[in-house]
Amino acid sequence: MATDTGVLTRRAIKVTGWRLFIMTVIGRSYPRVVGLLRERSWFFFDIFLPVLGVSSYVFVYRAIQAPEVYVGFVVMGGAMTAFWLNVLWSMGSQLYWEKESGNLGLYIMAPNSLMAILLGMALGGLFATLQRALVITIIGMLVFGVDFQVTSYLQLFAVFSLTMVALYGMGMMTSSIFLLLGREAWHISNLAQEPIYLASGFYFPLRSLNFWVAAGASIVPLSLGLDAMRQLVFPAGSFPPFLAVPTEIGILAVLSVVFLAGAKLLLDKMERLAIAEGRLTESRR
Amino acid sequence: MQQAIFTKKLSRIYKLRGGKKTEPKELIALKDVDLEVKQGELFGLLGPNGAGKTTLIKILTTLLAPSSGEAWVAGHNLSTDPDRVRPLINMVSGGESSGYGLLTVRENLWMFAQFYGIPSQVANQRIKDLLEVVGLGDRLNTKSSDLSTGLRQKMNIVRGFLTDPEVLFLDEPTLGLDVGASRDVRRFIRSWVDQNEGKTLLLTTHYMVEADELCDRVAIINNGQVLACDTPARLKRDLQKDAIFRMEVSPLNGAGAGVFERLSGVRKVTHEAKDGSSTLEFILAEEDALGAVVNTMTQQDIHILNLQKREPTLEDVFVSLTGKSMAEVEKSGD
Amino acid sequence: MTTKTSAYKHSLIPQNPGWLPRTFRFAAWLGWQIESNWADPFVFAIYSVIKPISSAAILVVMYSVITKGAFENPVFPYIYLGNAFYIYVGAIMAGISWAVIEDREHYRMLKYMYIAPLHYPTYLLGRGVARFLTGSISVFITIAFGVLFLNVPLNIYAADWGLFFVSLGLGVLMLGFMGLLLGSITMVIVNHVWFLGEAVAGALFLFSGAIFPLEVLPAWLRPVGYAMPLTYWLELMRRALIGDVARAFPTLAGFSNMELIGILLATTAVIGLAAFLTYRYCDYRARELGYIDRVTNY
Repeated sequence: MATDTGVLTRRAIKVTGWRLFIMTVIGRSYPRVVGLLRERSWFFFDIFLPVLGVSSYVFVYRAIQAPEVYVGFVVMGGAMTAFWLNVLWSMGSQLYWEKESGNLGLYIMAPNSLMAILLGMALGGLFATLQRALVITIIGMLVFGVDFQVTSYLQLFAVFSLTMVALYGMGMMTSSIFLLLGREAWHISNLAQEPIYLASGFYFPLRSLNFWVAAGASIVPLSLGLDAMRQLVFPAGSFPPFLAVPTEIGILAVLSVVFLAGAKLLLDKMERLAIAEGRLTESRR
Repeated sequence: MQQAIFTKKLSRIYKLRGGKKTEPKELIALKDVDLEVKQGELFGLLGPNGAGKTTLIKILTTLLAPSSGEAWVAGHNLSTDPDRVRPLINMVSGGESSGYGLLTVRENLWMFAQFYGIPSQVANQRIKDLLEVVGLGDRLNTKSSDLSTGLRQKMNIVRGFLTDPEVLFLDEPTLGLDVGASRDVRRFIRSWVDQNEGKTLLLTTHYMVEADELCDRVAIINNGQVLACDTPARLKRDLQKDAIFRMEVSPLNGAGAGVFERLSGVRKVTHEAKDGSSTLEFILAEEDALGAVVNTMTQQDIHILNLQKREPTLEDVFVSLTGKSMAEVEKSGD
Repeated sequence: MTTKTSAYKHSLIPQNPGWLPRTFRFAAWLGWQIESNWADPFVFAIYSVIKPISSAAILVVMYSVITKGAFENPVFPYIYLGNAFYIYVGAIMAGISWAVIEDREHYRMLKYMYIAPLHYPTYLLGRGVARFLTGSISVFITIAFGVLFLNVPLNIYAADWGLFFVSLGLGVLMLGFMGLLLGSITMVIVNHVWFLGEAVAGALFLFSGAIFPLEVLPAWLRPVGYAMPLTYWLELMRRALIGDVARAFPTLAGFSNMELIGILLATTAVIGLAAFLTYRYCDYRARELGYIDRVTNY
């Protein structure tokens, strides 16, 4: 092992502030993106198999002779489940795995913000999830003949973007709780799957539920996001909307701000608590 | 000279979760630790497993809050200013499995460099150079999941130095490495401190030789308390008044070691019998006492096969401070 | 020595038959310790209720919206019971394959299990026992909910309990073999395996006739369903509990109970053979690739 090279004495240039934030986001999203490009088998496991699962719900509607527009609801809901799963498994409980592998301590110890790490995870995950959602949508159109009639591309873009910001903001906020958790993190994520599929109306219009149940479920941004997007791509009158699209856009904007601010506050608080209780580096396999 | 690390009555108590019906127990991992590490020092924390070394490192690297007391790293208070400390430090733990298996060695290191704000071009050059230094230059594009334990540890060591920290914490950095690789790592660590004025390195180890060979100063820690803190030479100085001899002799024939302990000038004798010979270790108040020992052996018809005078080690210092060897402490779980 | 080790690790029959019951008992015990250790009984009870009920409620709402709440229609219990019993697929089949991932990547114990004098395929089957028990709680709660609140016409005095338990036993065996098959494949995949069990269980939902009859599928996809033991097992479970109402769809109406049991037995035997042959191959490949003690940190 050589010991007299210049690298030992050469100082490293370092940036701080918002540039460090962006570099951290890019750094943490990199493993997610490169992992997809490097291991092509994800297409089979993460896209092909889930597509078959979503298709089951299409055939349920066919079996009970539902109007064809309901097949469209399933396809759109099935596409959006990918984002919910991504938030649950690739952000929340991911922190638990990072703790087990020893990475979490290194993330906290580094001068970056944990928000940047989580945003990196989110954007990296979003890259894969968008592809899964697109494939499900395309299969819906080609195989099941779903006809999307977009009434306003601008509103559709606004709804989708705000839904993603609010959803991933919520993901960051809930991730803070996982800083304190051990193995139970896995079970909590598992527990939050089906109840949200139900309450957010992934496979049926949100208004099918009781108004107050739907209102309560609106805390999950996908509920209002899905309802608004369905109103924007399926013919008016084909199903009862929960709220008017502009109202839903307004609420999603408020949720985005609340969740992002909440994420910052809670992450700081939970990080302090985890450091005090010695939870950041413990292993509770 | 400025202090790189300063702790004042630092304590940490863990609440151990018991079973479902039992009350949580308390474990005192650190108790009133006062420590001063000067800027530019290579400082060692020496102690058996469970002594509190890793807990102290966790506190100093902002990952764990102390139960009481205060600490400063690179001039900043850890409790009130952790965000000012973090850009200035880094840590490497022995046997850790950080990073992502699907990324190459370069990519893993580049990712961590991003977290410290090192621009890609600078980071990539440093990675290349540092990997060459640790002998991993040909593994730049190997997936880290394909590295052996030793090579992965070398990658982690590079991760620690890559960010050019002012204070670097190495927690048992040679754990799991073979003799050759450990020697390389030790040499590399020493060079880094020697060639970088003002950089400080705190190393924990339970290998005596490592602490002795590397460190400017050493703190001996046991049961969460610092028992002594000085240069290895000064720590051993008290014992250097004594003469320590190691003798391999023919079997004692039932005479036992007791016969030597009664001799004038003999402070302590240990005896171990194996494979048709006996090994005796004498701590003598003065070298002249050796004559009486040899005479007694002649009278007892014991033949000297090998005689060696040896210098006191840090292990001897530890024994003199605790009354037990490190192995005995680890075994007893004290 | 190497040859000898190699031979017995590949063998379908262990070197010492005494290993089988010991391995199975140990694996079942270990599985239960892992399953029951993560939460107190109250939280576990909530978990056991909310997840399956939510899953069933999705279908209930879908059905209700379209049929305006026609729960008395025999189509409803067909869907409801098929979905309820499908919980076992996720629990047992996915659970067994999960044991491989958990042991290898998380607890890092796979290598120690593997070199111990255990029969590893039996170990994997044993790990399914705890998942069967917790799955049974979910199935029971789901069915009880349907009977109490949704008019699922289950009369415990009229149910064919003999057929039920025979079918259940065969089904559990069949799912255990499917789990072993999937677990074997998991041994040779080191990435993207975390949700393999659930993804496969979700995908097979499509072909098993669990929540809609196979006739609804395009003709070219139906043979997949007919080839799967799951399809016959679910039909038997429905018939055992609610008899004729289970024949709401004509798919398997032409088969008697005994014929269905015969088909289930035969397809289970085929799956079992396929599982052991797959294990044998994957065991060999995993060692060849060096995956037994691999921790990917993916």
